Amino acid sequence: MTDKNNKTLMNRRRFIKTSTAIIVGGTTLAGLGATPLLRSQTVLLRPPGALEEDRFLASCIKCGQCLQVCPPQVIQLANITQGFAVGTPYITARDGGCILCAGLPCVLACPTGSLNHDLSEGKDAQMGLAVISQPDTCLSVRGKNDIPHRINQLINGQTDTTNSRHVITDMFSRLTSSEKETVINRFSLTDLKADTVNALVRKLENEDLIWLKHFAKSAEFSMVSCRICFTECPIKSEKTILFQEKTDPESEQTAIWPVIQKSCVGCGVCEERCPTAEASITIIPRKKWMEVQG
Amino acid sequence: MSKIKTFKGPGLRTENIPQAKHKKNKWRNIRWFVLLFFNILFFASFYFDIQILEGSLSASRFLGFHLIDPLAAFQVILSSRILMVNLVIGVITIFIIYLMLGGRTFCSWICPYHWLAELGEKIHLILKHHNKIKEHAFDKKIRYIFYGLFLGLSFLTGYTIFETINPVAIISRSIVYGPALLLVWVFALLVFEVVYSKRAWCRYFCPVGVSYQLIGYVSPLRIKWDKEKCSNCKRCQNVCLVPYVLHNSVNKDNSMYIDSGACTRCGLCIDICDDEALSFGLKYLDKII
Repeated sequence: MTDKNNKTLMNRRRFIKTSTAIIVGGTTLAGLGATPLLRSQTVLLRPPGALEEDRFLASCIKCGQCLQVCPPQVIQLANITQGFAVGTPYITARDGGCILCAGLPCVLACPTGSLNHDLSEGKDAQMGLAVISQPDTCLSVRGKNDIPHRINQLINGQTDTTNSRHVITDMFSRLTSSEKETVINRFSLTDLKADTVNALVRKLENEDLIWLKHFAKSAEFSMVSCRICFTECPIKSEKTILFQEKTDPESEQTAIWPVIQKSCVGCGVCEERCPTAEASITIIPRKKWMEVQG
Repeated sequence: MSKIKTFKGPGLRTENIPQAKHKKNKWRNIRWFVLLFFNILFFASFYFDIQILEGSLSASRFLGFHLIDPLAAFQVILSSRILMVNLVIGVITIFIIYLMLGGRTFCSWICPYHWLAELGEKIHLILKHHNKIKEHAFDKKIRYIFYGLFLGLSFLTGYTIFETINPVAIISRSIVYGPALLLVWVFALLVFEVVYSKRAWCRYFCPVGVSYQLIGYVSPLRIKWDKEKCSNCKRCQNVCLVPYVLHNSVNKDNSMYIDSGACTRCGLCIDICDDEALSFGLKYLDKII
């Protein structure tokens, strides 16, 4: 064995020792140090049944099976921008709220119980709470009907064809029989069945929409202010939103407000469907009704 | 200075030793096909909704049966202090499957990161051949320290810290659910492997593989070495992904079956062997059958 060989061997050993020490020490420090930093700053809206946030992050295995089985496909996986929450499921209510499907497939799919298997019905979920975050734009507070507003959005080209179908179907379903006659005559239709309406939606011109908007403003239903958040709510067994007289704490004006009740689970469908440009009703994830009251 | 006792097997054919190119890639082709097949199956199960293999490599269901990565499961149990029945079932199922298939088989036959690392190794060897880079080695025991370290960290912090940086899970999720920002980290790892240390993640660090390695120590499915046929050319050790695993058999004649759990049962040595001295075999069971 030559000296040169021996020296290289020693160098190599030293390299292995120091590099091992650096790597192991570095990871430990980085792991412990990064823990508080990597906690998510924003509270995310979790799928139904999610454990309390710290325990949820501890137990979620980040496999995405809840996302795979979600019928309305509203669950997304978080990115590294959300720190430790990376790979965990969340819902962006405005893009699509949880419809609390029967059987809660996401909960059943969860292999770790991060989505608690004790939850069997959507109405018992505690995802968050809806609040009227923008009362000045809320159509209901302003006493306005939603249909003219939504048709206006169609005219301005803010929404897609699926939405136009929703709006027109919604509108027609609220018409009285004499008003229906007027619509049938205006567009020379045979009836107002789903197929006919779908065909009509596809060839609606701008002037037709303008006519529909004016017609909606004069129709009988326009007397009733917007109740989309209530009618679209997936919880039907209890009333989640009551329309009550309330004084705005800021402007001190009294109006009929949508008042969120205890039975709200924070699924986010109201935020998704809210017809105003920016949702007037939003979900505060993890918020409980009791916290707001007391 | 060499402590290694070279074993001179019978029928040593010295003229065969420096053989340049080798065209037989049977097991590699089968293995790559299996690897791509299962990763595409993950993708297709979600994307085309065929629901055969749902989830990602951290946890999935194959036709409804839970499969859970042991390391991920241990972390979850330690950080959440909850023992879920599904977790236990998933880990036991994985244990039984890999007990039959050979432990670290997961690495070379399923793991998408390993596949990228294999391609990276080829680039690394080309660069090394042209003297563009130097090879750096770490101590291969680091991976056990990492294994304990990350399990300890999940217990102490209450977060599955390793799952945040787990390149296997990141790639698997990216395949199934679309690319994520963390792929940058995976890419950085690959660059490190290409320019600094050959297949460093898989060899020295990856704790995911350690779980499978522990299964590999007891699994009967192994590479079998036939001393009578071996000409001791050592080319198997040149192509082997974990060269030291062949040492005990081919160099020391201590064992007929490759006895290390670190062997990934990739079959590269079988492909390269001109003597047909290496094959897949079943330790303990070969005699019975």
